[in-house]
Amino acid sequence: MLEIKNLTKIYPDGTRALNNISFKVEDGEFLIIIGLSGSGKSTLLRCINRLIDPTEGTIIFDDQDVTAADGSELRLIRRKIGMIFQHFNLVNRSSVLTNVLAGKLGYINPLSSLMHQFPAEARQEALAALKKVGIDDQKHKRADELSGGQRQRVGIARALMQNPRMVLADEPVASLDPVLAHTILGYIEQLNQENHISVICSLHYLDLVQRYATKVIGLKDGEIVYRGSREDIRSMTDEQFKEIYGQEAERVNAGTLSGGIA
Amino acid sequence: MERTYSPQKASPVNALTAAVLSLLVPGLGQIAALKIRRGLLLFGSFISIAGLLVWRIKNLGRLAEGFWGMLSKAFERNQLFIGFSIAAIAALWIWISFDAARQTRPGKKYGNSIFLLVLLVFFTFGWQVSEINILKLASDANEAWVPLSKILWPWEAAVTRDTDTVEAGAEILIGTEGTPPPVPEFKDNEPYIRAEPNFGDLSSLDKNNEIIPGTKVTLYGENFAPGMKTEIWWSDAIGNEFQPRYQGKYLSTITDETGAFEVKMIMPYRLVPPSARGEQLHTVMARQVSEVGSLKASEPLLLTIELIIETIFMGMMATLFGIILAVPISFLAARNLMSSSPITIAVYYLTRTVLNIIRSIEPLIWALIAVVWVGLGPFAGIVALTIHSIAALGKLYSEAIEGIDPGPIEAIQATGATKLQTIMFAVVPQMVPPFVSFTIYRWDINVRMSTVIGMVGGGGIGFLLVQYIRLLEYRSAGIAVWFIAITVAILDYVSAEIRQRFV
Repeated sequence: MLEIKNLTKIYPDGTRALNNISFKVEDGEFLIIIGLSGSGKSTLLRCINRLIDPTEGTIIFDDQDVTAADGSELRLIRRKIGMIFQHFNLVNRSSVLTNVLAGKLGYINPLSSLMHQFPAEARQEALAALKKVGIDDQKHKRADELSGGQRQRVGIARALMQNPRMVLADEPVASLDPVLAHTILGYIEQLNQENHISVICSLHYLDLVQRYATKVIGLKDGEIVYRGSREDIRSMTDEQFKEIYGQEAERVNAGTLSGGIA
Repeated sequence: MERTYSPQKASPVNALTAAVLSLLVPGLGQIAALKIRRGLLLFGSFISIAGLLVWRIKNLGRLAEGFWGMLSKAFERNQLFIGFSIAAIAALWIWISFDAARQTRPGKKYGNSIFLLVLLVFFTFGWQVSEINILKLASDANEAWVPLSKILWPWEAAVTRDTDTVEAGAEILIGTEGTPPPVPEFKDNEPYIRAEPNFGDLSSLDKNNEIIPGTKVTLYGENFAPGMKTEIWWSDAIGNEFQPRYQGKYLSTITDETGAFEVKMIMPYRLVPPSARGEQLHTVMARQVSEVGSLKASEPLLLTIELIIETIFMGMMATLFGIILAVPISFLAARNLMSSSPITIAVYYLTRTVLNIIRSIEPLIWALIAVVWVGLGPFAGIVALTIHSIAALGKLYSEAIEGIDPGPIEAIQATGATKLQTIMFAVVPQMVPPFVSFTIYRWDINVRMSTVIGMVGGGGIGFLLVQYIRLLEYRSAGIAVWFIAITVAILDYVSAEIRQRFV
């Protein structure tokens, strides 16, 4: 459903963030991108929905050329791709419900949405999405009153409102307690398996990668240095992991953390 | 803590040479010893102190002949200051020379205590130039007490009663030529006054400005209210009224139980233009003023209330216009919005520079310009405050825009929202708290500024206040001061409340 061909991104200051990246994502896949900070993971995810314009290469999503799309065409593509962020990117002063409803903006009449008017069905849907991530009782609170884990659930509910075909998750658990990592990734996996939404997610912890990925790509200095299937990643050794992450990397045992706080 | 110094270059001159050089030109020895910055700094300090001293000597010793004459006169007028300055400058000179000798020694670093002396001398000059006189604070305190007490408790002037005046007048011929005017006719139940004689000369001034007393006149009054204070007034040939004095006191008397009085007076001094010489009729009057009716608000109180309302509205209107114009400008002055192309960056720098220049000119000065522009009155004040508000708010708003978190913008864009939707959902909510906060802050400033902007003709209560102070009507001025204080206090409270609600 997503095909990336020879993608290159060079920033105005000359940094080559991505260099000739090509890969494919099939329907229902849970693709995890690993790599050090600065290896190009965030740039890659943002190129897919054109939050960042790539310098070269093509991106085909659902048989549409994303790189050639503009204006309303691009917005129609974007609304089919939900996005979850490391720092949640909620509007702190708005209520939880408003933040979730914002996920519907691509679908509704721009004029009435400017006055914060949403159709009744959208509200029903937002409540359902909040219920799904277990925080429907917080709907009237301001977003900045919630804890980190709760905020990321609002982020997931917002992405869910788009009825997406695919979700991009940029280090969704990196600013959370390791304990919460499984909760959040559990919700994302639920989207993947129950709603058949493809997921592209960047992560750091090998344990989490082994637990959730159906396919793994390793990035280093803007180039793909590792490709592996579900089976490959299960048998991945610390040495291979270190090759991607550099010599200093240690295996962080997030899995055991979430399993038992004694 | 241990400090290490980089090895220093050896001094090319010996200690004696450096000392002599610095005696010739202060600082030259240090420069020769390769302590160039120290030498230049000491030279600059010495030269400016010497220049200041010469200026003060010229100032204090003006009118005297020659430098030494000026110096001795200046010393006479302010021995402590001139003596200390000369001693200090001599000490500095010697010390600089001594310091030059020390600086030639390699490896050692000497402190900067020499600059303490320089600072001390500068502060001494500052004290003298700004005419500081602490003793005056105590010795003349009683002078300040009268206006101050009136300003602190002005409420006697806040209320007034209607007055009822009982008055009678009699004409007097000035000069000995011409016919004296007829004596007023006596009528029952009507106040009556007559002057004896009803002609004569006014008091005048001789060549040495000594008063030559005029003709003595006796005034007889009847049919006034009994046992009541009666003021004597004088009206000259063109109708100017004044209350003549006798032995320094305003002339007045108290009527007897039948309502009659008898007052002796000397005809007052009045400057008469040469062209008006000849036969002139003046009028002498007796006047009884009594308060009638109930208390009512006085004119100063009513005027103050009227103008304080004007003041508050001036502040509000200036803030409103300021917001309307500052919002679009603030977008031009926000770096994060304007960094996309060289043209927008140029616009950014231009906007910033203009805003800074406008902001650095005080609203009072803008008011002076606005008064010329649109004339006296509140509109000039509004124009001045608006100009300053645009610059101040433009800067604050643009900094708020620069400070917004790009995360939510990215997130809303990713949902497929349009640009306008992104602004409404991601930008506006982030801007509301700083905008509200800065706007209220500015409203606060504008109302406070509009209380003084009237002093230069910009309308509002400041105009009234400065007028009362110039007329020495301290009670009326006190009413205005109280109203300003109350308004500002209420405003402080209200703005704090609003800010708490919104932010």
